[in-house]
Formats: sequence, structure tokens, C-alpha cells
Amino acid sequence: MNIFFVAVGMGLCALVFLVLYRAIFGPGVFNRIAAISAVGTKTLIILLIIGYVYNRVEMFIDISMVYALLNFIGCIAAAKYLEMER
Amino acid sequence: MTYILVGLAIICILGGLFFFTTATIGLLRFPDFFTRLHATGKGDTLAVFLCLIGFALYEGFSLTALKIVVIAVFMFLAQPTATHAISRAGIRRGLKPWVKGEERR
Amino acid sequence: MIGKSDDIIIKTIARIFVPFLQLYALYVIMHGHYSPGGGFQGGVILGASMALLLITHGYDELKRRLPEGALIFLGSLGVLIYAGIGLICLLLGGNYLDYSQLSVILGVDAPHARSLGILGVELGVGFTVMAIMYSIFFDISTGGILPEDQRREDRAEGER
Repeated sequence: MNIFFVAVGMGLCALVFLVLYRAIFGPGVFNRIAAISAVGTKTLIILLIIGYVYNRVEMFIDISMVYALLNFIGCIAAAKYLEMER
Repeated sequence: MTYILVGLAIICILGGLFFFTTATIGLLRFPDFFTRLHATGKGDTLAVFLCLIGFALYEGFSLTALKIVVIAVFMFLAQPTATHAISRAGIRRGLKPWVKGEERR
Repeated sequence: MIGKSDDIIIKTIARIFVPFLQLYALYVIMHGHYSPGGGFQGGVILGASMALLLITHGYDELKRRLPEGALIFLGSLGVLIYAGIGLICLLLGGNYLDYSQLSVILGVDAPHARSLGILGVELGVGFTVMAIMYSIFFDISTGGILPEDQRREDRAEGER
């Protein structure tokens, strides 16, 4: 069961590197914000998988909940800032 | 009983990994900003929900599974709202949607 | 000055989430001795919930709920709780912040008194961190211009 979780985690890490291509080369700032939001979502699952591998799930649930919250609030704050005209 | 729950959990997690892969391929290959928002907004939300339900089924009936379900409900409500906010900002700043026949942006 | 967002979806979702965010922050403060968390982390989540309300509802709505006088009062109250517990331990005959002397007042034995003393200082830290996080966010977002002066400038420009 451990090997299955580690394999899924490594697959997700490879997907994060693929999304970073859009974060570096995306023309304009909007593509970069969408890419960073996607990276944050994948990080949430990787944190829980690490918790399962080291057999201490209760600790990592609190951390991943806080990360989901901060991802949401950061995305809305960035969108509000980009709406304003210069 | 536990074997059925573990089997269901493995199926859910593999389904979530499949939807993550298709959402990432869409983010790389689509021709415009709004179409890429479609891919990451819908695909990522469903994938996260399936993965978290898989983790909750693997735990069985305990307090930890309830906390994971709370995170899943929060992500299901919050991620589409963030996508909506970004797309409104894009429209306000004058980005035009892609019409078939133009070049990739 | 931050104007309010004219989208009903974002306003409704923010209004649904803020009570649950604050309840979760209180859980993080209280459960800090056993799981990751404690005073500072819970205070940051409380400040972030107030910042979410500020972004979506604008400054005029939030001026009623959290005026600047209340912010100063909350920040000072946290420091008073922290230093006050330390001073009470000093007055009862021990060292500064030596919680085992609190067992005289509370009537429990020494390990319970230490646990309750730590809980008290964590609450104080949480209050102060919440007030300072919200105040920093507000000062940076307006650029140092008070909203009353901003309105006066806007009116003067409109007349010109």
C-alpha cells in the first residue's frame, strides 16, 4: 500500500513540473495566476500522501486545510488587484 | 469489509489522478486564456474531490475521515469561486475570447 | 480606499465562509499543544478572515464592524494578558512566567496549572496577532492615505 501512495505522489510531482511551464512562459499575468492556483491544489494532495507514508495523518490534515484556505484568499485578492485601472 | 473499502479507495484515487492528468494537458495545449481556465477550473476541482473521497474511504469510520470530508466540501465550494473571480478580472481588463481561425495566444 | 465588489457570487460565498474560518482558527489556538498550531498560527487565520471581508465588502461596511479604536484595544489587550500572567506568577513568589505558582489561585496541582497558564498566553498572542495582521493589510492597501482624505480628494477632482 505504501508503494501505491509513493507512485501516485511521484506522478503528481511530475504534473506540477509540467504546469510550471505555463507559469514561466504564459503570455501575460493572468495565465500565471491560473497556473499557481493549479499548483496549490496539487500540493494539497501531495501533503496528505506524505502524511499517509509516515503514518501521522492527523498532523497533516490541519496543515492541508490551512493551505487550501490561503490559496483561495490569495486568488481572490490577486483578482481584485488586477481589476483596478491604473 | 475492509477489503471492499480499500478497493473503492484505490479506484477513487486512480480516477482523481486521471482527471489531474487531463486537466494539466488541457492547461498546456489550449489556445486561449479563457479555455485554459475551463480546463483547470473544472478538472482540478473534480480531481481533488475524488482524491479526498478516496482518502476518507481508506480510513474507515473515524474522526479523521470526517475532517477530510470537511476539506473536500470546502474545496468544492471555493475553487469555482476563485475561477469566477479571475475570469471577471480578465473580462474587465479587455481580453477578448478566442475565435476559431485565429492564432494561438 | 477599497470599494466593494459588485458581484453577488463572491460576496455570498465570503459571507458563508467567514464564521467557519473563525471557528477553525479558534480550534487551532486551543489545540496547539497537541497538533501543529498554537497562538501565532491561529491569529494569522483570524486576520486572514477579516482581510477576506475587507476585500469583498469594501471599507464602508467594515468600518462599523471593526473600527480602528477597537483594533488598538485588541492589540493592547493581548499584550496585557501575556505580561499580566507573568507578573501574577512573579507576585506569588516564583520566577517570571513560572506557571506552577498559579496553583495557589486556581486550586489545582502543578502540572494542570502549567497547562492552563500556557493556554492563557496563547489566547493573548492570538488577539494581538489578529489585530496587527488586519492593520498591516489595511495600511498597505490604502497606500497611507486615510479614506476621509481620499474622499475629499476625489470630490475636489470631480469639481475641477
